[in-house]
This record gives sequence, C-alpha cells and structure tokens, in this order.
Amino acid sequence: MNWFDKLLDWFSGFTEQWEKHGVKFTAYTTVAVLIGGIFELIPPFFLTKTAEPIAGTRPYNALELAGRDIYQREGCNNCHTQMVRPFKWEVDRFDPQHSYGKDGYSKAGEFVYDHPFLWGSKRTGPDLAHESQIQPSAEWHRTHLINPRDTAKGSIMPSYPWLFEESSSLDAKEIAAHMKGLRKIGVPYTDEDIASVASLTTGKTEGDALIAYLLKLGKDTAELSKNLQ
Amino acid sequence: MSSFEQKYNDGIVKGFLISALVWGIASMLVGVWIAFQMVYPELNIGPYFTFGRLRPLHTNAAIFGFALSIIFATGYHTVQRLCRVRIWSDKLANLHLALYNLSIILAAITLPLGLSQSKEYAELEWPLDLLIVIWFVIFIVNYFGTIFTREEKQLYVAIWFYIASWVTIPILFIVNNLSIPVSWIKSYSVYAGVYDANIQWWYGHNAVAFVLTTPFLGLMYYYLPKHIKQPIYSHRLSIIHFWSLIFIYIWAGPHHLLYSPLPDWLQTTGMVFSIMLWMPSWGGMLNGFLTLTQAKEKIKTDATLKMILVGITFYGMSTFEGPLLSIRSVSGLGHNTDWIIGHVHGGTLGWVGMMSFAAIYYLVPRIWNTNLYSEKLANFHFWVATLGILLYIVSMWVSGITEGSMWRAIDSTGALKYPNWVQITETLKPYRLFRGIGGGLYFIGLLTMIYNVIRTIRTSGNGFKEIDLRVGLKEAKA
Repeated sequence: MNWFDKLLDWFSGFTEQWEKHGVKFTAYTTVAVLIGGIFELIPPFFLTKTAEPIAGTRPYNALELAGRDIYQREGCNNCHTQMVRPFKWEVDRFDPQHSYGKDGYSKAGEFVYDHPFLWGSKRTGPDLAHESQIQPSAEWHRTHLINPRDTAKGSIMPSYPWLFEESSSLDAKEIAAHMKGLRKIGVPYTDEDIASVASLTTGKTEGDALIAYLLKLGKDTAELSKNLQ
Repeated sequence: MSSFEQKYNDGIVKGFLISALVWGIASMLVGVWIAFQMVYPELNIGPYFTFGRLRPLHTNAAIFGFALSIIFATGYHTVQRLCRVRIWSDKLANLHLALYNLSIILAAITLPLGLSQSKEYAELEWPLDLLIVIWFVIFIVNYFGTIFTREEKQLYVAIWFYIASWVTIPILFIVNNLSIPVSWIKSYSVYAGVYDANIQWWYGHNAVAFVLTTPFLGLMYYYLPKHIKQPIYSHRLSIIHFWSLIFIYIWAGPHHLLYSPLPDWLQTTGMVFSIMLWMPSWGGMLNGFLTLTQAKEKIKTDATLKMILVGITFYGMSTFEGPLLSIRSVSGLGHNTDWIIGHVHGGTLGWVGMMSFAAIYYLVPRIWNTNLYSEKLANFHFWVATLGILLYIVSMWVSGITEGSMWRAIDSTGALKYPNWVQITETLKPYRLFRGIGGGLYFIGLLTMIYNVIRTIRTSGNGFKEIDLRVGLKEAKA
C-alpha cells in the first residue's frame, strides 16, 4: 500500500495549503461540485432523442392544460406516477389492451410539452401515463373523483367533491395567460389555440378539466400506434 | 462566560434553535397526520388538508424548516468559534433570521392553498423562491465575511463541509427553479419532460447531499470531538472523504430515473457514481465511529452521545442502502414503493434527526448558560425516538418489498397475479399503520425534548457546569 500512502501524501499536500486560504478553498470546492453537474446537465440538451416529439404528440388544449394545473395544485403526482418502465409486468398492468403496440412503456418524445414533468416518484395509486386507454369513461372518473370508494372499495385516495361545485368554474383569462407563458418557453401554441380558450372552458368546472387531462394522457401515442398497425 | 458573550453573537444561535423547535413540531405533526391518511382516508380534509397538499408541507417544513434551522444555528455557532471572531455583521444575521422565518411561514400558508410548482422539494412558487435567494445571499455574505476576517488561520474540517453546502445549495436551487411566471401565484418550469426530470433529480438528490448530509457532517466534526474532549480520529481521512464526497455526490442524481426514458449512458453514470459514493460516505462514518470509540465508556450514561452513536449508525446504514437501491435490478423492485420512503426516513429520522437533537442538547445549556433540566427525559427521548425509527423503517421495508413483489407477481399463464390495485393497498395497510405509530413515537420524543428545553431555558443564567455523568453515577453508587 506504499503507493497509496504516497498518493494520499501528494493529494493532502495540495489540500492542506488550500485549508489556509478561504478563497482558494472555496474556488476548488466549487470546481469539484460543478464538474459532475456540467457533465450530466449539458449534453442531454443536444441529444435529439430526448428533444424530439413523437409524431402525433400535440400540446395540451386549453381545457386539458387547465386540468394539468389542477393535477399539480392537488399534488396528484405525490401518489400517482406517469412513467411506465420497460418491464413485462409493468406494461401488462398499465397497457392491458396493448394500445401502444409491442412496447407499451414510456418514451422521451411523449413528454416534450410537459412543463414541468409529472413522472412522480411514488406509486401509492396506479400509474396514469396511459389513463385514456385504461379508463376512457369520463363518468367513471367523475364518480371516482367525488368519492373514490364508490368505484374502488378500499381505496385510500382523498375525495375531491368540490372540484365539481359551481365555485370551481374555470377562468378563461387565466388559462389564456398560462398558454401565452408556455408559448414563450417553446410550446407551439398558435393564436387559434389561445383564441379557443373561451369556447373550450366556458361552463366547465375544475373537475371537468381534470378529467379532460386524464383522458388526454397516452391518447396521442395510442392513436399513432393504431394508425401504424 | 461574560467575556465570551461579548466576543461571540449567540443571540442568532438562540433564534435559529427556537426556529428549529417550532418547525420541528410543524413538520413532524403533519408527517404523523399524513402517515395515518395512508390508512384512514377520511383524515383527508379537503380542499386544504389532503395528502397531495400536505405532503409537500411536511417535506418542506422538515427539510427547509427544521433541518435548515439546525444548520444555521450550528453554522453560526461553529464559525465564530473556529474563526475566533464574532460573526461579521449582527444586523445581517438578524435580517437572515427574520426573512428566513418569513419564507417558511409563507410556505406553510401557500402549500395547503395548493400553490405548488410540483417539483419535489422545490414546490414553492417563484416569489418565495426569490425571497429564499435573497436571505441566502445575505447569509453567505455574512458567513464568508466572518471567514475572511478570521483570526485562526487554519480552516477546520467542520468549516469545509459548511462551505461546500453554501456553495452548492444556491447552484442547485437556482438552476432547478428557473421558471416562467404567468401570474403571482403560478409559474411553469422552463425545462420540459426528460430534461426537467434530469435537472429535478440532480437537484433532488443533491438536496440530500448538501442540505441533509454535508452540513450535518460539519456538525459532527465540531460537536463530537468537543463533547468527548478528544480530537477527531484521523485528519487525513477527513481530507480524503471530504473531497471525494463532494466530487462524487453531484453525479448520483440519475439513479432516481433508472428505466425511465432518460438516456442510458446518463442512467449508468448515475448508478456507477452512486455505488462509488459508498466509500466516501463510509469514510465519514468511520471517522465518526473511531472518534466515538475513544470515549466509549461515556456512551452508557450520556444521552447526547447515544444520539450521535445512533445518528452515525443510521448514516452508515442509509449510505449503504442508497447505493444498493441505485443498482438497476434492485431499483426495479424498490422504485416507487414504500421501501424508498423507509430509506429516506432512515436518513432523516436517524441521521439528521438524531444529530440535530444531539446538537440541541449540547447547545441549549451552554448558550443559555445553565444546566439541562432533566437528563432522564433526554434519555427517554433517545429511547422512544430510536424505537420509533425502527418501527418506521422495518414496517416500510416490509411494505415496500411486499408492494414491489405484488406488482410483478405473475401466475403460470403469464398473467398478473394481482391485477386489482386495491388488493395490494389492503395488504399494505397494517405496515402503514405501524409506520404511523413509529412516527408518532418519534414525535412524542420531540415533544419531550421541547418540554425539557423550555424548562432549561427558564433557569437561564444559572451558570453552566460541565458534568461527567460517569463520575456522578460512581458517587451515587458509593
């Protein structure tokens, strides 16, 4: 182990000098922590595979976007994931109809309009990445959101009856502002998309929007897959 | 003692210690509440107190309320002693304390209101993020001001760990929180999809590294040798494990995204560095343990030392479990399950919590110049907290592995054995109940400590006497 001791001597010869110089020490510490970050954060920006939308992936319309905001506000991502891993048991569970062809796991190109991503990290309830294909009934979702125990006895999900009350109606102006903001950071919303906010959201509640969002999840990819087949 | 009071600003340490107690109660009370929500859904009181809104409140109050208060209290206390000068500016310190608490109060209000960016441990909306940047800059100026006016030339190892934290936290925080505001209460991350996930977990994992690990190692390197009156076991080990820890930790984030659409090379890099991270982590643990063994007979009688012992043990355990979980095949089973919740709480309740309590028991009598009201209650706190942690972690291990196994179970025809999700939920119920009870015990320990601290502060100014409890015991026997 003589060489190891020599290596340590050599290394601590440097660092012991830095320990007396606050500026030097801080500068070298900064360099040490920056290297890994730069290496991991910069290259993915230039890899087209992580950047290009899958053909057929389109941005959320006004109602779906409003629903996505509700999803974030209620913290649904604390219990539901939106990322199916490439395991047979995971694909079988979250793609029972094989709507996504042979490989029903999540692809990078499906998430390009997701600011922020909502993959989640804990699966207390089922994954929702393909919810449009697993449970396509809006009425079922309404009953489930108002009281989850009515559709799934033993569920531990909170009830969200107030989302469907009149006080929870949507504000078209707010949604238009959100779309304009997203356009600034690269979501390709057209002027027509923004003009359609009022017609899509008038008379709708937050609950309706949330259901529209859930029924959008996985829809584009499933349709693409059907066309290919 | 009076000359010390003039030399060092201990008022700011008091301020942050009290903040820690207040945010400790808030975070752990909410923690116990949401633990029971996982068993009794009727405890969700909508719209403000559902699991989805309370869970970020719990994590933010625990990490940024409790842990950061401890970090700032010990940071201000140690930097003045190790530099042998008063903190550079008392006014900036007070401003830091005030703005910091304002931001946590606003967090405690806005999170139940549902104002959330929904990125884990970065949920706060942009005006609060800006407020946080402001007080952090104020703090950093003051801290480095103190270092640059120091009278002690050598920077002791505890300060290295604090410096690494102050440098890295702002980098992580600013890069991850870049967002475009669309109103005062709503913003969207400038990154999308896979990029956003990559940056979020670079941030998320390094919040564990540079908020919940390095400052607490700094704390250990100061208070452990001070308390046992023996030097740290090996200075050279300190050097090696400090530089390798801060260099390697930053790479480990992608292990949160194994089997995701993140580029494969990135996932593998994250995994490899996570496994490498085991060595510097255990370097820190060993340095702590070997220092402790120099005073091993003291451990029997001293609750503070027992807490440090259990804290270091859990640090070693969590930093072994972490690399294990970052191996692809293990992640395949553990990811998204209760196992991860157990793993995180081994680190937070065991390492961060116990080291924090040890620092509080060390600091309170000294800063308020009196003696601890009751050593017996401190001892009770130690045992009830340790029991609570064990119940919590063991139940989450069983729950998580059961959960992961039930998801992947396939019968002889190749079909899922448990297609009905609720069946899995019902199976996990008893374990989740035990988790709540474990958390409850830990909370009782915290309340005991707070009672003890309040009774101690009431006798403030009685004069601090260092008692070797072993001698006290021998006298009692004789």
